Amino acid sequence: MRRIFTAFAIIMAVFHFMEAHAQERTISGRVISAEDNTGLPGVNILIKGTSEGTVTDTEGKFRLSVPDQNAVLVFSFVGFETQEVQPQNRAVINITLRPDYTEMAQVVVTSFGIEQEKKSLGYAVQELGSEEITKTKQQNVVSALQGQVAGVQVTNAGGAPGQSARIIIRGVNSLDPSADNQPLFVVDGVPIDNSTIEDSDRTPRGLSNRAADINPNDIESMTVLKGAAATALYGVRAANGAVIITTKKGRAGAVRVNINSTVGFEEVNRYPRIQEVYGQGFSGQYNPNDFWPSWGAPIAAVADTVPGYQFENNWEDAMNTGRQIDNSVSVSGGNENATFYGSFSRLDQKGIIPFSEWDRSTAKLSGDIKISDQFNFSGSVNYINSGGNRVPHDRFMERMVYWAATQDVTDYINPDGTMKTYGNTNPIYDARFSTFQDDVNRVIGNLMLNYKPTEWLSFTYRVGTDYYSDSRTEITPGPMGIDGELPLSSIGFIRETRINSRDLNSNLFMTLNNEFSEKFRTTLRVGNDIFERDYERVDAYGENFVIPNFYDLSYASQISNSQDKRKRRLVGLYGDLMLDYDNFLFLNVTGRNDWSSTLPEANNSFFYPSVNLGFVFSEAFDFPRFLSFGKLRASWAKVGKDTDPHLLGATYAASDVYPLNGQVGFSRVSRFGDPELKPEETYSVEFGTNLQFLSNRLGVDFTWYKSNSRNQIIPVPISDATGYSVYITNAGEIENRGIELMLTGSPIRSSDFSWDITVNLSNNNNTVVNIREGIDEIVVGSQFGYVGSTVTMKLVEGEPYGNIYGSSYQRYYPDGTPENLTHLDADRPLVIGANGFPIRNGNQLILGNAIPKWFGGVRNTLNYKGLDFSFLVDFRADVEQYNQYDNFFSAFGIAEYTLARNETRVFNGVTAEGSPNTQEVWLGQGVGPDGVDYGAGYYRNHYRSVSENFVHDASFIKLRNISLGYNLQPGLLDATPFRSARIAVTANNIILYTPWDGFDPESFSAGAGGNAVGFTGLGYPGVRSLLFTLNLGF
Amino acid sequence: MKRIYKNAIYLALPCLLVTSACEDFLDINDNPNNPTEASVSGLLVNSTFETAQNTYRLGSITSNYLQYLASPNQGSSSDIMDEVSHDNTWLNMYNAMTDLSVMIEQAESNGASHYQGAGQILQALHLGMMVDVWGDVPYSEAFNFETLTPAYDDDQALYTEVLSLLDAGISNLSSETTISMGNDDFIYGGDVDKWIKFGNMLKARYLNHLSKTAAYNPTEILAAVDQGFEGNEDDAQVVYFEEEFNPWANVAINNADLVLGGWISEQFIQATDGTTFGVVDPRLPYMVGATDDGEYVGTVNGAGRGNAPAAGARSTLVTGDFYSSEQSPVLIATYAEQKFIEAEAAFTVDKERSYQAYLAGIRAHMRKLGVAQEAIDAYINNPLVSMGMADFTIDDIFREKYVAMFLHPEAWVDARRYDYQYEGFTLPENANSALGGEFIRRLAYPDSEVSRNGRNVPDVSLTDRIWWDE
Repeated sequence: MRRIFTAFAIIMAVFHFMEAHAQERTISGRVISAEDNTGLPGVNILIKGTSEGTVTDTEGKFRLSVPDQNAVLVFSFVGFETQEVQPQNRAVINITLRPDYTEMAQVVVTSFGIEQEKKSLGYAVQELGSEEITKTKQQNVVSALQGQVAGVQVTNAGGAPGQSARIIIRGVNSLDPSADNQPLFVVDGVPIDNSTIEDSDRTPRGLSNRAADINPNDIESMTVLKGAAATALYGVRAANGAVIITTKKGRAGAVRVNINSTVGFEEVNRYPRIQEVYGQGFSGQYNPNDFWPSWGAPIAAVADTVPGYQFENNWEDAMNTGRQIDNSVSVSGGNENATFYGSFSRLDQKGIIPFSEWDRSTAKLSGDIKISDQFNFSGSVNYINSGGNRVPHDRFMERMVYWAATQDVTDYINPDGTMKTYGNTNPIYDARFSTFQDDVNRVIGNLMLNYKPTEWLSFTYRVGTDYYSDSRTEITPGPMGIDGELPLSSIGFIRETRINSRDLNSNLFMTLNNEFSEKFRTTLRVGNDIFERDYERVDAYGENFVIPNFYDLSYASQISNSQDKRKRRLVGLYGDLMLDYDNFLFLNVTGRNDWSSTLPEANNSFFYPSVNLGFVFSEAFDFPRFLSFGKLRASWAKVGKDTDPHLLGATYAASDVYPLNGQVGFSRVSRFGDPELKPEETYSVEFGTNLQFLSNRLGVDFTWYKSNSRNQIIPVPISDATGYSVYITNAGEIENRGIELMLTGSPIRSSDFSWDITVNLSNNNNTVVNIREGIDEIVVGSQFGYVGSTVTMKLVEGEPYGNIYGSSYQRYYPDGTPENLTHLDADRPLVIGANGFPIRNGNQLILGNAIPKWFGGVRNTLNYKGLDFSFLVDFRADVEQYNQYDNFFSAFGIAEYTLARNETRVFNGVTAEGSPNTQEVWLGQGVGPDGVDYGAGYYRNHYRSVSENFVHDASFIKLRNISLGYNLQPGLLDATPFRSARIAVTANNIILYTPWDGFDPESFSAGAGGNAVGFTGLGYPGVRSLLFTLNLGF
Repeated sequence: MKRIYKNAIYLALPCLLVTSACEDFLDINDNPNNPTEASVSGLLVNSTFETAQNTYRLGSITSNYLQYLASPNQGSSSDIMDEVSHDNTWLNMYNAMTDLSVMIEQAESNGASHYQGAGQILQALHLGMMVDVWGDVPYSEAFNFETLTPAYDDDQALYTEVLSLLDAGISNLSSETTISMGNDDFIYGGDVDKWIKFGNMLKARYLNHLSKTAAYNPTEILAAVDQGFEGNEDDAQVVYFEEEFNPWANVAINNADLVLGGWISEQFIQATDGTTFGVVDPRLPYMVGATDDGEYVGTVNGAGRGNAPAAGARSTLVTGDFYSSEQSPVLIATYAEQKFIEAEAAFTVDKERSYQAYLAGIRAHMRKLGVAQEAIDAYINNPLVSMGMADFTIDDIFREKYVAMFLHPEAWVDARRYDYQYEGFTLPENANSALGGEFIRRLAYPDSEVSRNGRNVPDVSLTDRIWWDE
């Protein structure tokens, strides 16, 4: 080795000698990136003061003649700090360019995959790089955004493998309870489908949002476009914002191989507080066959006479340690004319609830071909297979509630395969045999052609498709025909669901650049955009298996089918004019007209404009040195929105009970779509500023925004007596306003050690401005609570989205309870009834609001030589949720506070007349010490019936992610066959601080597609995880 | 393949300029899943099916008030006569009435008078059922989307409409038709004579509801009875299907699956097992299930099951019984019911006819259930049942009709006309205190109406009576 090196040095010296004698000296060398020590192709090298220079080749190498020793070489490359070097008499110069993190140099990808200088934008955008995405080891790209982007609220629906995550940008914009308020996802310029298809009328299964199909390791960057201005060019589909994903591309140069392996483990991050004293039975009586899990005798007392009778730690025993194995390999490379990137990945995940699992395999190939200086061509194909077994988590957890604390839940099966039980259904048995398998096969592909006949004109055509089939099979077995068995269902059923969805996108645009003078430049883009979604779903349902344990539609004696077909087309024409004056004043005007197939012909064409202005005042005027960059932004935009297909007019439908006796019955569909339906309109304004101080070591980015969505297309609930129940029409307005603040700082920045902090903070306020004359409220959803404690999320004029209504304790008002009381005033004294218990008020009052008013996150990144350490803390505040677990736990004597069941209490409050309550009551079941019969007791007769008891503060602070990694340093790397090597350990959600009693309050049962986020349901518990990762590069 | 090609062409030809091509391209919004029109035949299939379903739906609300059923849970709102919002039942009733109004209109324009007549009879039945539980309801401004907030019509005026619909229905069924009903009629399989008898039977039923009012006219009722059902074979009922089980069977199946429901009230058990009346009714085993020990044990309304386990210790609906088997019929109107109407109407004008009709009503119901002839005879011959014309009272009619109308919503009309004076009938435990010790007299208007049509919804309480009950 050493010899080779010596020989090399000699050869180099010879060249050196030779070159020194040339008249014009030739200098050679290589430019590498400080990011990953790899060669940088395409770096501009200019001899200062001249127009002479060169560009580095695919490996970052260059060769250049310089006139004399005093020449200065300028190395510049987009996204990197420019460097000047005087070679003097050196013949070989190796340059390391450092990435430039200042806003001035940053390029972000906006609409249609167009790269734009961030500096020029008149609206807020925020970008995450591949490292920020993969560092959290979230397998769902939506979850990877969590806590990292201002104005963007991401909520994991739960901890199931592959379970959906919900993303909302700047608040909910629609009054329609079934609207998808999530942004458009765009991969390499082509929108993809991110729907979550969860059947709302059946038990939740924790299904995936379709963006979870994307392998995060393939992503180069994600840009979040928040405002209407940013998304005006994507049209109606981006009315809720857009997440622009750019995938990794090959680079010219040697073929590179990257291998990434992760092994992870997860467990429940938080359990509710439960009592461990009382066992199975009711009224304090021991009964080992009872339905009642925890209202029985004290366990310790029974254990004296019943050997082995003990508290089983069922909640923890029923849960497994989840685990995941994720392997991916990517290969990339190319030359000046063609590059490619290919990857394979495989993820296997097993969840904490037994038998819940999900896997994902992906294969991706993308390539770029430069046919000539005028013409290039690129394309990519991504194949994904994903799916798994989705346990019925709500039902599992509900059955956990019913399962007696003194019966071992993990002992669930008899040798003959029937359920082992004392009477209640065993949740683990149900999770194992009530299966729900989904199998998604998906292809996302796109092709792009770029033709640039002259310097100032180019044409781009991009066509893409997103096709998937989702094949679902749900089976619940019937009886096995064995005497004494307790079957999961008395007849059993199978449901086969086949979903096929295909998106086609076509986008053609022309770009004209004109430099009117050195100071004034314009870019005009004009284009056409076509979208089509073709969706079809077929369900076949069979009940009553004729052969036990043989699950096939052909062997079910009752069959019913249903079919749903939908097709939507959109055509858009758009123009986008950008004016740049002297690199400090940027004006951008856009206009778009859309034609939608979903609206009536007379109203299906709609136009909407936007204008935004960016003013970099730090370049227009002189400022003190501490201000390195300053910009003001302002934007105004209107966005139109169409609706779902096939909604107009009246139709008749055959219910899925038919055919019966060979007859098919028809009934008028209770939905009537306004034949005069108009497009929705959202108007938004935004002001912001970005300031960088102390050589960009401190940055502030502040945005204020307000958006109003008018003429909302909503299903207005109308009197059933009209002949319809729902009238789809234009009605109502909703307003969102808020602020976003980003702080970036680099307290330490030296060659060996750096420390960077990013803080984001968001506030959103929402108001339902109006609904429609005569319509008082729109119900978004409701969730069951025992005996009148069911809570409802309703939209009411003048109130914000997300209010939770429910029953409460009667409060004392000296002058009588005011009429039209809407909010619970929890500070007032309770009114205690003649029986000594607080009086329940069944009138539905606002008990809380499920949309957090404040949320944000802080990321710290520290680098010391090869070591890097980072942690992300995120929080949400001012948010309440309905805790359905707690409602059940009080009803079944499981909650820790039900330990007070044998106490006597004087409830704090006043009598109806206002005098302090002094009456003593017993909280237990049956006849109390005072001789009074208290029936089922305080918790069942009173406590569980009051929603107020279960609507809790759901704020939290989470250590979302902490990660420590080590990159093998060049000295050590040389001794290995690797170009790069990294090991890292990551932990997620290991610290959770919240006033909430229960599982992680982040979980909710509706799934990402549902808007009823204020209900935890009996959702899949949140998890914490620990992951080990190894990256190797060749 | 051809489709892909077609789409590729669409996408390859961005309709930049050619707006007419765009119009075709975008003209794909016709609903591919649902037709915009339905035939009278398809509407009849659904209307006859939904008539049975709605009879069940209302029955499942009223059966706890009548203490046929009791909730296994203490203080359940269905038992204790709490104010409950029955949004779904209201919706289903209006759905059926909307379809019927479309069918009547369409049949009229087609000259399909038999469909028109059957539609009018079912419309009268629905409207009658609506008024009997809710009182004033929207009708004259209903079904055709004339307004977003239809007005409520007076309940007494709606009774006039019920009777005129029945008359119109009978007359249309008696005239020529362009299309004949057949297997699309789940009630009678297209037998027009039976439909006409059904129309007359319903006339008798709704006229008999007026027993508390000055308009009560026994002669008119008996005239309708004379043209009504002539035996159990005329019963208006829908026999359920292999593919779709009887809804009470589903309650029984769910209960067996521990989704609890269909528990029998102690009141009903005691009324039939000899406790209350001293005579054991042989129908009991045909109607409800026994405990694991083979006994009939009811649940006290409002008290819940207490310490009783979820299965095996109380009587519930079970599959295999007459009312709750998979392919059991849902009874809409029966010969037995008509006999009790006859008995009640004749009581003051022809007591012999009344007494014979009362006994015939019992026999008809027992035969319907499949009770053996010896058991029928034994029961009928019991002096507590055949007390003789002299000792025969109106109470006997209501007592026996109560058993014969098991689970039927019509029984609640009887109970209110009779002021719940059944022997041994008491308020449920934990009864809704807002009723002030009274029995419930109507249903509350559903929340859906209050929130969508609030200004028109009458302000009533659960003790306010329907017009015929005042």
